[in-house]
Amino acid sequence: MKIKSGFVAREIAGEYVVVALGAASKIFNGIIKLNDTAKLIWDKLSLGWEKDAIVDAVLQEYETDRATVEADFDRFVDTLKGANILE
Amino acid sequence: MFFIKIADITVQIHNVYPFVERFCKDYRVDPVENPDLIIGATTDEIVREVELEGATMPPEQAEGICLYRKICVQLPIKFQGFLMHCAVIEYEGVGYAFAAKSGTGKSTHIALWQKHFGNAVHIVNGDKPIMRFRKNQLYAYGTPWCGKEGFQTNTSVPMKAICFIERSETNQIRPIGPDEAVTRIFHQILTPSDLETVNSLFPLLDQTLREIPCYVLGCNISEEAAQVAYHGMNKI
Repeated sequence: MKIKSGFVAREIAGEYVVVALGAASKIFNGIIKLNDTAKLIWDKLSLGWEKDAIVDAVLQEYETDRATVEADFDRFVDTLKGANILE
Repeated sequence: MFFIKIADITVQIHNVYPFVERFCKDYRVDPVENPDLIIGATTDEIVREVELEGATMPPEQAEGICLYRKICVQLPIKFQGFLMHCAVIEYEGVGYAFAAKSGTGKSTHIALWQKHFGNAVHIVNGDKPIMRFRKNQLYAYGTPWCGKEGFQTNTSVPMKAICFIERSETNQIRPIGPDEAVTRIFHQILTPSDLETVNSLFPLLDQTLREIPCYVLGCNISEEAAQVAYHGMNKI
């Protein structure tokens, strides 16, 4: 599970947004807005991390429980898969 | 071949059809030795543009669109600017941008401003103005490309507010934060196609969203819509 090449996440006025460049813009046209947790998950996915390690990383940063983070992770990954961004 | 000046940028245009030269008449300037941009569209590019538009567009008009895109994709990197799909009007010396999905009624709404506030309202560009930062202030510039109504003025105006329009039975306006505005503004700009453009464009959008207040206006087609919009954006 890895983010396809050609996607970049950048901050604009305190908001993280993802856009597709070059060939990637043919499969995804638009933007995705990331909150702080999603940004962390995005960055870890970009580095090729697996689910368990990413959930651990989120838990270290935010005071919440594992089940919530796992549910957030699954929902986010489903969104990315739906948009054809993950390979 | 002819020269124009738009958004304080001198452009040397090598045209195929004479139409585009007439189309740009309000922006023609005398030849300059070192123009900021030199552009031209090949006949192949014009044919591709016609196909993109659904084959009903005359090639001379497609050439114009081709040329404008060639100018606009260079704005972020070279000129601290970007194309924004919106209508900009000038009133009391400042600019108000109205953006909406096609067919929502941008043109109808700015016509209401003209009806309500009279001749003091000027249309800078009805559809595709250039936005550009000069000395840390965002300005909207008129350009020949301005939508089917042809509303444009060769002028520039400091931007006061950006207003996203939605249809509604009653008129109301609310300020929105960057969290909501960022998605809305992205729908109105040319999606960057390379990293260099992203690196130039995103700081411009960042500054725009930090400095220019954004609003969502729900409005009908009564004159009151213009008044509600004006009052909301001037906190009256």
